[in-house]
Amino acid sequence: MIRIENVTKRFGRVPAVDGVSLDVPVGESLALWGSNGAGKTTLLRCVLGLLPYQGHIRIGEHDARADGKAARMLLGYVPQELGFYDDLRAGEALRFFARLKGLRLARSEVHAALANVGLDGHHAKRIRELSGGMKQRLALAIALVGDPPVLILDEVTASLDACGRGEFVAMLARLRGQGRTMLFASHRLDEVTALATRVVMLERGKAIADLPPADMTRRLGAGSELHLLLDAAVRAQAVALLRERGFEARLNGRGILVPVPESQKAGPFRVLAEARITIADFDLVPADGGHTHSEGTP
Amino acid sequence: MNTRTAISVMLVLAVVGLAPAQPHEAPTAIQRAPETVRSTGVIGRLIERAAPGDTIIVPPGVYREHLRLDKPLTLEGGGKAVIDGDGHGDIVEISAPDVTFRGFIVRNTGDNLDKENAAIRALAPRATIEHNTLTDILFGIDLREAPDSVIRGNVIGGKPLDPARRGDGLRLWRSDRALVEGNTLHDGRDAILWYSKGVVARGNTSRRCRYGLHLMFSDDVLIEGNTLEGNSVGVYLMYSTGVEVRGNRLLANRGPSGYGVGLKETDRFTLRDNYIAGNRVGIYLDGSPFTQAQPGRVTLNTLAFNDVGMTFLPSAKGNLVTENNFIDNLNQVFVAGRGNLDANRFWEGDRGNFWTDYSGYDQDRDGIGDFVHDSTTLFDGLLDREPKLRLFLFSPAQQAVEFVGRALPTMRPEPKFVDEVPLMRPVAVTLPPAPRTASRVMLIAGAGVLVGVFLSVLAAARLPACVFEIGGRS
Amino acid sequence: MTTLTLTTSPILTRPVPGALANIAAVAGRELRDALRSRWFILYTLAFTALGLGVSYVSAASSGGAGLSNFGRTTAGLINLVLLVVPLMALSAGASSVASDRERGMLAYLLAQPVSRLEVLLGKYVGLAGALLACLTLGLGLCTAILAWKGQDTGVAAVLTLAGLAFTLALGMLSVGMLVSVLARRASVAVGTVIFIWLVFVFVSDLALMAGTIALRLPIDQLFLLSLLNPLQVFKMWSLHAGDASLDVLGPAGLYAMEEYGPRLHLIFAACLSAWIVLPLTLAAAVFARRSPL
Repeated sequence: MIRIENVTKRFGRVPAVDGVSLDVPVGESLALWGSNGAGKTTLLRCVLGLLPYQGHIRIGEHDARADGKAARMLLGYVPQELGFYDDLRAGEALRFFARLKGLRLARSEVHAALANVGLDGHHAKRIRELSGGMKQRLALAIALVGDPPVLILDEVTASLDACGRGEFVAMLARLRGQGRTMLFASHRLDEVTALATRVVMLERGKAIADLPPADMTRRLGAGSELHLLLDAAVRAQAVALLRERGFEARLNGRGILVPVPESQKAGPFRVLAEARITIADFDLVPADGGHTHSEGTP
Repeated sequence: MNTRTAISVMLVLAVVGLAPAQPHEAPTAIQRAPETVRSTGVIGRLIERAAPGDTIIVPPGVYREHLRLDKPLTLEGGGKAVIDGDGHGDIVEISAPDVTFRGFIVRNTGDNLDKENAAIRALAPRATIEHNTLTDILFGIDLREAPDSVIRGNVIGGKPLDPARRGDGLRLWRSDRALVEGNTLHDGRDAILWYSKGVVARGNTSRRCRYGLHLMFSDDVLIEGNTLEGNSVGVYLMYSTGVEVRGNRLLANRGPSGYGVGLKETDRFTLRDNYIAGNRVGIYLDGSPFTQAQPGRVTLNTLAFNDVGMTFLPSAKGNLVTENNFIDNLNQVFVAGRGNLDANRFWEGDRGNFWTDYSGYDQDRDGIGDFVHDSTTLFDGLLDREPKLRLFLFSPAQQAVEFVGRALPTMRPEPKFVDEVPLMRPVAVTLPPAPRTASRVMLIAGAGVLVGVFLSVLAAARLPACVFEIGGRS
Repeated sequence: MTTLTLTTSPILTRPVPGALANIAAVAGRELRDALRSRWFILYTLAFTALGLGVSYVSAASSGGAGLSNFGRTTAGLINLVLLVVPLMALSAGASSVASDRERGMLAYLLAQPVSRLEVLLGKYVGLAGALLACLTLGLGLCTAILAWKGQDTGVAAVLTLAGLAFTLALGMLSVGMLVSVLARRASVAVGTVIFIWLVFVFVSDLALMAGTIALRLPIDQLFLLSLLNPLQVFKMWSLHAGDASLDVLGPAGLYAMEEYGPRLHLIFAACLSAWIVLPLTLAAAVFARRSPL
């Protein structure tokens, strides 16, 4: 369904995507896995025709560069964060993007599309009045207009809190079951395990591995890095506690970073729970040979 | 004097055997007679047969002939008798005194400018030429040594010729004390007076001519209540003395010279109560007064929206300009060439003029500005140096220049004139009501069109959203 | 399996929307957004209020005596258009693409099945509609005032002025959009167009005035140079259309009349059209290559 052949994209002299080739058959859900700056988003943007690139990308029958409009007709795209006219009402936005796909939605269809993503009754709300999770669900509803065979998802849960993230992933998982081809970028292990049928690991623009999700968890045995978002008052205490118990914890702008071995990912949670320190949020990031994460998750 | 007991010679009676009391009540059969039925020379033969003092009433119809009125007669055309000159020569010549020629349509003279083909030419005193309509003519009414004549209520329209090949709609040559009243001239060359003293021109209208009223060596003329609009020049006085121009409307005269009133070497003139607007130059003074002892007087006029309110040539000295309204002329007063207007005065006693560009105030509320008016804007100063800069008129850059001039007084050019006692309020002037040319209905329609476009853009933008929202809430 | 899914997918039975349909959709979106935006309402209010002021004052100063004040009213409105309309059109164009890019809207929009040219033209048409609305409301109310005050102004003059002002607005919108696709940030784009506005409104004219005096520019060169400024072209065209004459502009105006006669309309039209077409073409060329991020 999607064929990426030897795609290279440079910003200046630095290659963001470096000779990546991928073939995503119909019905497959492929995760692009990698740290920030690994080239996931850049590759998706090439697929969407937003960036010029070397190499070839085909979507269905269409070349993404030469025949971009037709190629994008096959895609539904959900960005990290929906940025659109803030004053627009949800229903209006849905209708607008439907028109771009050549559809004029009846009122009942608008309602149905919104209900499909759990936004029933919100058609008259303005985008700026929607919460982050609702915005993402609206973006998903827009992506699903016209029932495109391919969904492109770019770090779609990055701006959501833990609760919203779970709901959203569950929604996507249901969609996967309907035979859609999915190509998504993520650095969250839970997402990948929940959604992917196949994982391609990217590092500095290169595809370094292509494997089933189960293999990936094994491969990550080398360890991951746990990002914990904590109240500022308790951070120093938490770092001290974790070090006492053998974790290499260190402070970071908004929280603390803890490299964890594959088998002990829950360890730090236990430690902090015992000390009654509340974890506001967390994130699990694959460690990629060294401390590339100078800051926490977005 | 011009009318005697009339014997009606009923042409119709002779031909048809009917004798209607008035020609215009003649049977319709005759009124409808085709133009070609009338033979030429019919009226001519009647004039031949008529006795001095007779009145000839000419019934409606088209008469292709040229008339010579050589005895004191009255000819009545009733407004429907057409005398057609067939495109050659003069048409009516009045060679006897005391002729009255009234109510004809005279048309189609020759177009020989050298021979000055005219519709009506009077060569004798006391001609009365009134209520005629002259169309497609080279010269209209031409008085040659016809003093004490009356030209009244005629409509005179020139041939559709190139301006250089047109003739004068009205010309008076050595015809003193003539009365020219209520005539309408259009598309001709001039209405011109040569060596004609004591003429009164009152209530005439002139449009699209060269000079609306032109005086050459004609003294003591009164020009009153005329409307001269859209000509090259409104009133042009040359080498004449004692002329009074009063209560006229001089509008949008914008030919190459484009004066509302132009005066060249004219003495003892009075311009009073005129409304002079939209001309290239409102009043143009060249060598006037010619004699210092006979100064000119410009008072109670309104000069509005002209490119230049008043232009003074350096030779114009000794004029008194008071109690005029200078309203938003692009350039209120312009001095052609270097120098100033010290030889002219803009106030007398405590009466100056009203200037819309006066920037002072009146703290003691006596109706007179507390500062003298000597306004000369920086842009005007630049224009004096470089007239080409007028190209930038109406542009914000012009206002920027003037702003700089106001902010930095050192940049201001020397004042050209001073009004010591500028008036704070416009002088009320009495004017005849103006004929409206623009239709209010059309303007409202125009406003409707524009607002309609606005509403339809709104509708185009809003409609889908509104429909959705209303539908959505239900 | 592959073919089955593809053929049952509804997307393949639906044709890709045509360019016009997409332009219309984007234009409608843009128009609606512009009409709701603060700048539009502000400019419209300012333009309308100032226009009403000009009409009222010029109608009042001609009142009573039934003065025929057509020329001054038109001149006042021309002056107003010269000041306000370019600023409005330039800033509308300037913020269009740049601010969308800044908010990430542009990438999202271009990820849909639309071409970049369609998006650009759609935005252009939509904003043009907003400008048209502003101009017609302002001038429409001015005309109503003139009618109410019994002003002796021809309706043709007002409609001509509205048409020409819209043409000028289209040209300035073009320039604004070119700046917008070039600028990295919306604030830079807006700053740039304000500078451009100053150049068109004041700097170029003042420079040309100074040049005329200092260099003794011949009249033909002065006229040709003035044609480079779209605002001057609009002004001359409005005066020419209203009065059928440029003589009010003095020797240079007379020169233009004598030299070009009836071709003046064509020349003015060509100049303003160039200001519409060239910057927009350039903007499209740049927009096609630039990253929307």
